[in-house]
Amino acid sequence: MNIDDKTIQALSASLKFRQMRQELIASNIANAETPGYKAKKIDFEEALARALDTDGELNMKVNNQKHYNIGGGGFKNLEPEIIEDANGIISPDGNTVDRDSEMSQMVENKVMYDANVQLLNKKLGLLKYAIGSDNR
Amino acid sequence: MDLLTSLKISSSGLTANKKRMAAISSNIANAQVTRTEQGGPYQPKDVVFGTEPAKESFSEILENEISEMPQTVVAKEVVNNKKAPILKYEPNHPDANPQGYVAYPDINVMAEMANMIEASRAYEANINALNTSKSMALKDLEIGR
Repeated sequence: MNIDDKTIQALSASLKFRQMRQELIASNIANAETPGYKAKKIDFEEALARALDTDGELNMKVNNQKHYNIGGGGFKNLEPEIIEDANGIISPDGNTVDRDSEMSQMVENKVMYDANVQLLNKKLGLLKYAIGSDNR
Repeated sequence: MDLLTSLKISSSGLTANKKRMAAISSNIANAQVTRTEQGGPYQPKDVVFGTEPAKESFSEILENEISEMPQTVVAKEVVNNKKAPILKYEPNHPDANPQGYVAYPDINVMAEMANMIEASRAYEANINALNTSKSMALKDLEIGR
C-alpha cells in the first residue's frame, strides 16, 4: 500500500493553496486603501480537480495508438493561477478591493482549511489504525 | 508563501493605519492653531499609502515583479495638505494681519472624523485577517494528532 496516496497528496496541495489564498486576502485587506492597488485572487480548484481526476473525464481522448496523454502533470506540477480580481469595483484612486467580499472569502477559506486539516487527520488516523501501533 | 507572510502583511496594515490615525488626530487637535514653529497656521497632514513586496530575497522580489504576488502596505510619506488657509476677520487676535484677518488651517473636523472611522474599520479588518492567519497556523499543529 502506498502511504503517500492521492488523498494525502490532494489534501496537502489544497492546504498549501489555501495558505496562499489567505496570504493574498491579507494583502488585499491591508491594501484596501492603497491608491492604484488591484485586488488579486488565486484559482486552484480547477487545477486540483484536473490533477485528482477521480472520474477520469478530464483525460485526453485518443483515437490513435501513437497519440499519448501528456497528462495534467499530477500534483507535482500544479500551478495555481494568481490573477487580478475583476470584480467591477473601481474607486476613483484606481483601487479595486472589495473589503466585505474579502472578509467573507477569508472566513470561507478558514472553514475549508479547518475541514481540510480534519480530513487529513482522519486519513492519518486510518493509517495509524491499520498499523495498530498504539494498541487501542 | 506561508502563513507567517500573511501575518507580516496584516501587521503592515496595522502599522500603516496607526500612522494614518496619528495624522488624523494631529489634524483634529490642531484645527484651530494659527501659530506654528514654521510660522503661519498649522498645515493639515495627509498620509500616502503605497505597496511593498512582502518578500525579502532578490529572487522573490524579481518573481514579485513578474507575477502577481501578495504585497504589504506602507505609509510612504506624510505630506502637508496644500489647501490654502481660511481667513477670518478677527482684528483683535494677536495673529491678525494688518488688514485684521487671521489665517486658520482649512480643516473640516467632520471629514477628519469620517476618515478616522474609516481608519479604525481598516484596522479592525486587518486584526481580523491576522487572527484568521494565526488560527490557521495553529490548526497546522493539529495535523497528525
